[in-house]
Amino acid sequence: MSKELKNITENVMNQIHQGKAKMKPKIYFILGSILTLIGLISSVVVSTFLVGLIRFSLRTHGPMGQYRFDQMISNFPWWTTILAILGLIIGIWLIRQYDFSYKKNPWIIIIGFILAIIIGGYIIDMTGLNDTMFQYGPMRGMMGNYMQNGQGWKK
Amino acid sequence: MAENIESTDEEIIEKVRTSNQDLYALIIDRYQKKLIRYVNNLIKDENKAIDVVQESFIKAYINLNSFNIEKKFSSWIYRIVHNQAINLAKKYQKETPLLENWDFESDDDIEKDFEEKEIIEKVERCLKNIPLLYSEPLSLYYIDEKSYEEISDILRIPMGTVATRINRAKKIMKNICQKN
Repeated sequence: MSKELKNITENVMNQIHQGKAKMKPKIYFILGSILTLIGLISSVVVSTFLVGLIRFSLRTHGPMGQYRFDQMISNFPWWTTILAILGLIIGIWLIRQYDFSYKKNPWIIIIGFILAIIIGGYIIDMTGLNDTMFQYGPMRGMMGNYMQNGQGWKK
Repeated sequence: MAENIESTDEEIIEKVRTSNQDLYALIIDRYQKKLIRYVNNLIKDENKAIDVVQESFIKAYINLNSFNIEKKFSSWIYRIVHNQAINLAKKYQKETPLLENWDFESDDDIEKDFEEKEIIEKVERCLKNIPLLYSEPLSLYYIDEKSYEEISDILRIPMGTVATRINRAKKIMKNICQKN
């Protein structure tokens, strides 16, 4: 065994001396952290806006009978729901990459993250930020198309 | 290199990163024995355990700049070894070799440590009959003498979960070891 132990030291040090094992520079890890943070913020922003969009779409149609409900279902942009769920999953996965996350109960982090996004979406919807964005912002064309096929803008 | 023998792991790592990569050999010498025993408790294969530890030291060296010097190096290297071992265990899940004739040659007086070794060997024999979920925190606590916080850092689970798993492991171990 002691021979094998010596071999470990020798093998590892040989790989280092021969340049087969090279230390990655600090900047590599700094960039990695920055990109993770940007990814996390992006997923939160996208999920929040999409939750707002889902609420907005439901409210636009209002309480209705079966016919209007069917119309709403057929015109509803389901991809936003999928994107919102995907954003949530990516966001939770990114949070789990941070050192502090495993010290907390994972359910608290997951539920907290989902609640924050739903509340964020609700606030955006209540403040009318999404209306502005959909009518004047970059999503105008996309939402215009949806609204033409659907029930129109909020009355 | 001799003047660094008294230095802490973190001090040595800082020197490895900035000026003297040869000091990494000191780190390997400090940890390899403990880590091989730890991995062997996980995968129950001496040769594979040696490979895992060697690979882990290489991986640790490559990623040495990601180590936060304000934290404990031991937890960091155990975490890397844990990941490597678990990956290997998943790969060879069907293989379930038994732990046998596990012995380290040492310059220390064997008689002096006999009693302690006997206890450790008995614990290791019992550990192999306990599910990995419980045996790992237990072996880290009793054999590697890690604190709950360090185990939490190594296994990336909350400290409360560490305490729960160790308590359950003790109960399971008591049942199994008393039967044997």
